[in-house]
Amino acid sequence: MRTNYRVNAGVRFEVFSRDQLEELFNGVLHVMDKIGLDVHHEEARNILADAGAHVEDKRVRIPTHLVKRALATAPRSFTIYARDGNPAHDIQIGPGRAHFGPGPTPPNFIDVETLERRPYVRDDARIVATVVDALPNIDFCESLGTISDVPTDLAAAYEFATMFPRTTKPIVAWSFGWDDSNDIHQIAITEAGGQEAFERRPNYIHYCEPLSPLVSTFEAVDKVIFAARHAVPVIFTTCALAGGTAPVTPAGIIIQTTAESFMGLVLSQIIRPGLPFFTGGVLSVMDMSAMILSYGAPELSLMMAGVTELAHYCGLPLWQTGGCTDSKCLDEQASLEGSLSVFFSALSGGDLCHDVGYTESGMTGSILQTVMMDDAIGYSRRITRGIEVTPDTLAVDVIRDVGPDGHYLYHDHTMQHFKTEFWYPNLCDRHNYEEWAAEGKQTMRARVIDRTREILATHNPSPVRPETAEAITAIMAAAENRVKNKP
Amino acid sequence: MSQTLEQITTGVIEGNIQGIRQLIQKALEEGLKAEEILQNGLIVGMNEVGKRFKVAQMFIPEVLRAAKTMHAGQELLHPLVTDARAVRVGTIVIGTVQGDMHDIGKNLVGMMCEGAGFEVIDLGFDLSPETFTEAIKVHQPDIVGMSALLTTTMRSMGHTLKAITEAGLREKVKVMVGGAPVDAEFAARIGADGYGHNAVVGAELARKLVEAA
Repeated sequence: MRTNYRVNAGVRFEVFSRDQLEELFNGVLHVMDKIGLDVHHEEARNILADAGAHVEDKRVRIPTHLVKRALATAPRSFTIYARDGNPAHDIQIGPGRAHFGPGPTPPNFIDVETLERRPYVRDDARIVATVVDALPNIDFCESLGTISDVPTDLAAAYEFATMFPRTTKPIVAWSFGWDDSNDIHQIAITEAGGQEAFERRPNYIHYCEPLSPLVSTFEAVDKVIFAARHAVPVIFTTCALAGGTAPVTPAGIIIQTTAESFMGLVLSQIIRPGLPFFTGGVLSVMDMSAMILSYGAPELSLMMAGVTELAHYCGLPLWQTGGCTDSKCLDEQASLEGSLSVFFSALSGGDLCHDVGYTESGMTGSILQTVMMDDAIGYSRRITRGIEVTPDTLAVDVIRDVGPDGHYLYHDHTMQHFKTEFWYPNLCDRHNYEEWAAEGKQTMRARVIDRTREILATHNPSPVRPETAEAITAIMAAAENRVKNKP
Repeated sequence: MSQTLEQITTGVIEGNIQGIRQLIQKALEEGLKAEEILQNGLIVGMNEVGKRFKVAQMFIPEVLRAAKTMHAGQELLHPLVTDARAVRVGTIVIGTVQGDMHDIGKNLVGMMCEGAGFEVIDLGFDLSPETFTEAIKVHQPDIVGMSALLTTTMRSMGHTLKAITEAGLREKVKVMVGGAPVDAEFAARIGADGYGHNAVVGAELARKLVEAA
């Protein structure tokens, strides 16, 4: 029997103390109650006013008790399910669990064959979903682009319709508004076996992006209302630029973006208490020379770690950011920025880390970057798993067995543990010079490209049910008609 | 093919040291010849192990266990074969050279060579050139294997080779070298017959050296 014996099940990493978190949280409450946000959606303003918010024209101020009620009803732990019932592809949201996936909507894509940057097309969604499905350390799917070769209003619906049959990993969907949100939802619930079955086992998440500073746009709010009414787990987060659309200081941007998310939190919890909700976003700096939102800045990782701690302090899961870069191609910069942000994200335990595969400051999606980062995530996860301390792992008896001048290679203890204690990379090369030279002196870049093409040539994701395949065809045909007949 | 031979092959791959003896006994009772058991059972298994190791489907602790299983099987068959060389392909004397106390790499090579059918005489570590020359005279090996981990002790390999030559023993043995700082170029420069960059390659090289002799 032991008393006061504490076990660390992973590696600890902290940015803030509890007192600092309380100050940040008070800052968020102050912004919501005293400053307020502009909500460009009349119905939403009415819902909020009925619940006790102060509404003056577009400005909505949320009293602290409403925020706290929303925090009390929003869950910290829940599961997003693989559409085919494969438990290995379920996502279990909860403390100490970091998940990774690509990001949405860059206009360009790095062609997997020519390796050139070009506009994103529909087939790229197939490529991304197939590769995501095969990668061991990627947990959810986003498209890494906006489809340019379909009617503009249908880019999101086509993207979902293309990806859904090619991966059983949960998709984080985006949309333009109510209609295409509904297209996406109909596909998902057909596979789930109806709305009721979907509510028991949600198989996708919806992403909504309001505006910094402090604006809840009509589209973002409309989509969060759609999600809440249809029981779709939802993300409501901004992409803020420190020094541009948010305070230049990390503490300031953390407060502002959390308040921006919390408007969606309060609204969603009024409509459907208990709806899974993700706060967070992309918090980074506006580079004052290049004038971009930097996806490779150390401040991104630091601010994201800070906002993660605040979310967890509030009892909410967080939409993290990492595995991204400002580099234009698969090079040393892409590797350095991507790997370090992946590692920080893993350390902070942010619940869904997106943008793994963003390059050129979010302007170009690259599945090659995602494939390279898959190894960085595996590496990071081995570290965050920590060091287990038990009589068996302490191995004092094993040390006695082997003694001075012996070796451990034959020992049962080595056999039992070497596969689980050691992580083995898929892409990082550990051969000696001769072997490496004999294999043609391949660089990391070449190995990443080869592996991506190999997955595309060989991987067959589990298919959707026949009725879902039919539903996708019918839903997209109806959507085409809707767009054609639009005034 | 006999089911028992298949079980022997699987036994080697799985490193089933306890089970292999029983399986070989069973095969002998079924009337299989020792040569058959060796060629179509044990060696088939060990070749598969080598293949799997190269594509990272098996790892060193598993390969060593397989080698040990192989060796246990060979020991059992040794008195029963008509041509002893079918089981024991040769004798190898190995050791870490003077000034160097690192021996995990040398041990690995030794274990792999046993699995490859060699009788391995491990001299230990921090060995003077004279220890090597004396051992050659006593054990009459086919191969001498030298190991060093330190760049500072690599030179001892050259000194040892020189001592072997001066003792008039160079024509009698093949010499192979290994260890982290050693490469093929260094091996050629000091006049060794071969170099293996890891234990698995080292054991393969040893077989090639005796087959060529």
